[in-house]
Amino acid sequence: MISRAGLLRGCCIAAALFASGCATHMVRLQPVRTAFQRGDITEADRLIDHEIETGSEDNLLLLDRAMVALADGRPADAERMLRQARDGLDRVEEESQAETAWSMLADDQVRAYAGEDYEKVLVRAMLALTNLAQDGDDAEAYSLQVIDAQRRIVAAAAQPDGTNPKAAYQQVALAPYLRGILREETHRDYDDAARNFRLVTAWQPDFRQGPFHLARATGGTHSRPGHGVVHVFALVGHGPFKAEAEEVPTSTSLLIADQILSTQLRSTLPPTIAPIKLPRIVAAPGAAGTVQVGVGDWAAGQTETITSVSQMAIRQQEAMLPWQLARAVARRTVKKGTVFGVKQGLGMQDGLPSVALDLAGVAWEASEAADTRCWSLLPDRIQVLRLELPAGTHTLALRPLAHDGQPLGEPVARSVTVCDGRNSYLLARVGDAGFIGGPIASSP
Amino acid sequence: MSRVDRPGRLDRRTFLRRGLKPLPLAVLATAAAGCRSMQFARVMAPGEDGMIGSHQAGQETFTPLVNDAVAKLLARHVESAVQQVAYVEGAEPLPPPTKRICFVGVENKSAEEIGDFKEQIYQAIDARILESQVFQSVNRRFVDAGLRDTRLRPDQLLIPEHMRAFTAHMDQQGQPIDYLLYATITSGTTQQNRDYQRDYVLTLELVEVGTGSYDKQSAELSKGYHHSRLGRWRAAHSSSP
Repeated sequence: MISRAGLLRGCCIAAALFASGCATHMVRLQPVRTAFQRGDITEADRLIDHEIETGSEDNLLLLDRAMVALADGRPADAERMLRQARDGLDRVEEESQAETAWSMLADDQVRAYAGEDYEKVLVRAMLALTNLAQDGDDAEAYSLQVIDAQRRIVAAAAQPDGTNPKAAYQQVALAPYLRGILREETHRDYDDAARNFRLVTAWQPDFRQGPFHLARATGGTHSRPGHGVVHVFALVGHGPFKAEAEEVPTSTSLLIADQILSTQLRSTLPPTIAPIKLPRIVAAPGAAGTVQVGVGDWAAGQTETITSVSQMAIRQQEAMLPWQLARAVARRTVKKGTVFGVKQGLGMQDGLPSVALDLAGVAWEASEAADTRCWSLLPDRIQVLRLELPAGTHTLALRPLAHDGQPLGEPVARSVTVCDGRNSYLLARVGDAGFIGGPIASSP
Repeated sequence: MSRVDRPGRLDRRTFLRRGLKPLPLAVLATAAAGCRSMQFARVMAPGEDGMIGSHQAGQETFTPLVNDAVAKLLARHVESAVQQVAYVEGAEPLPPPTKRICFVGVENKSAEEIGDFKEQIYQAIDARILESQVFQSVNRRFVDAGLRDTRLRPDQLLIPEHMRAFTAHMDQQGQPIDYLLYATITSGTTQQNRDYQRDYVLTLELVEVGTGSYDKQSAELSKGYHHSRLGRWRAAHSSSP
């Protein structure tokens, strides 16, 4: 039989172990982010390698590694990694009762990470883009998956009372845009293209090219005879990341509740000294603004934002914040209940052992860390530009610009082959110091 | 009388104690019991009932629509083909030359995004026409190339000048055509509180390029979408006597 002293010692050791914790995901990944944004792909890859060796969060590291491979001009590798990460995230999408229960005793970091909703959609969108940067054979399927994932996420959140917290989600306009340009290229399914461009204009009303795409799909043709289309995709800036934030008003309310309950129960509960911590999405877009594209002497235009990843991530989190907060409060209740249960089991009312257990409870609560896991190398914005050019080979001059329109880094020339009546694709990644790696052109 | 002395009434403190004590045990029990379930798949036997789309049309809608519409259209043209057989005394009756159809595409004008079904509907219609031997369909790759080369939209082909240009182009490519075939999916929705009925219609339009005359065949299927099993049961039994 376990003695009272032994049990007490066990509680203290367990609390100390919980309290030891470790650096959050975002803290560990910060050097990767910094190296990548300054354009040092080799260093970013090396750091990710090191993280993989430590064996943490394989799926997220694969996603980051895919972004490095894409910037490094290896779209086939990037596609393979993205596919693997997508399947890995899908596998853990369904909630495990065991993990949920354990997360009530520790924190949300013990749950397998299935990805935020915007990440689940964007992994498929990135798959479509990486595929388009090669032969585009699977781009149609990926584009369908993006739309389907988006629809499923919202539908799955429907509540029995008819409300849906995710109904207010900002949708990824890149998804119907990709579908639209692919259907338009068939020269047959203009109705599909128009339907998708209509969604683009509804979901991203400030996308100025939207109405032109819609008008073309409704009454025009893909391109003039003897011409083809180049779609320039630019992944611009630093994507959103998660930082730990303290929910002070909720923590204060819980502290008052502790005091009320302690009086009622005539037995103290661990006071809420350690604040409740929640992950908050932070946008830090960086210096990059847009990409200017020129063909010969002709200044063809600038890329324009079709999806603002940071904005979307923040809005999605705002919609789900009450649920996150409720889970954190429930976790505290379980922990306090556990300490109270132990005290009751040991017949403690007050005295030093009771104080020691309360302290252990406080340490246990303080061991909680916000779950800051996220896809850290996403761009801040995904931008597009459509150019109709005569069939043949063209050299496009790409120049990254800062938010104020000033040149950012060196311009890059890239050769693109345009086929009659077909799409070609060019994909570039822009960081604080200009292009990260080199733009990739598809091979039709 | 103090609260604890009142029979049948649960003291607040006792209530809180009883409520808090089993909480950690419940969490541990859940942790021990629950594991993440996995996804499984199986090959469905031929003829086995397929799944029914709960939110939009699926195979249960499109398969019968395609079967019905194509069968009716072909049946009518088999009859006219038989009537055209020339009889010459002492000679074998010659079958009429097979008409060549250019299946332009499937247009979705319904309220739903049909996604990957569009390609499947196209292929199903095309395959049935080819199997029937009433018509010979032009290979889709030629049709796509023709549309791309002429930069004509499918809906522009019915303008006489465009039709002539397209026909001439297909002739040049060694793919003469007698008919253009269009398939269109439409829907109509009737709402009843939170439940709704959606009527799906697949229309096949056959246009003779020489004369501009056309034939049309539709198939219709209605589907009820319900928010509860009770709603579905009620709808299924409301029409029975």
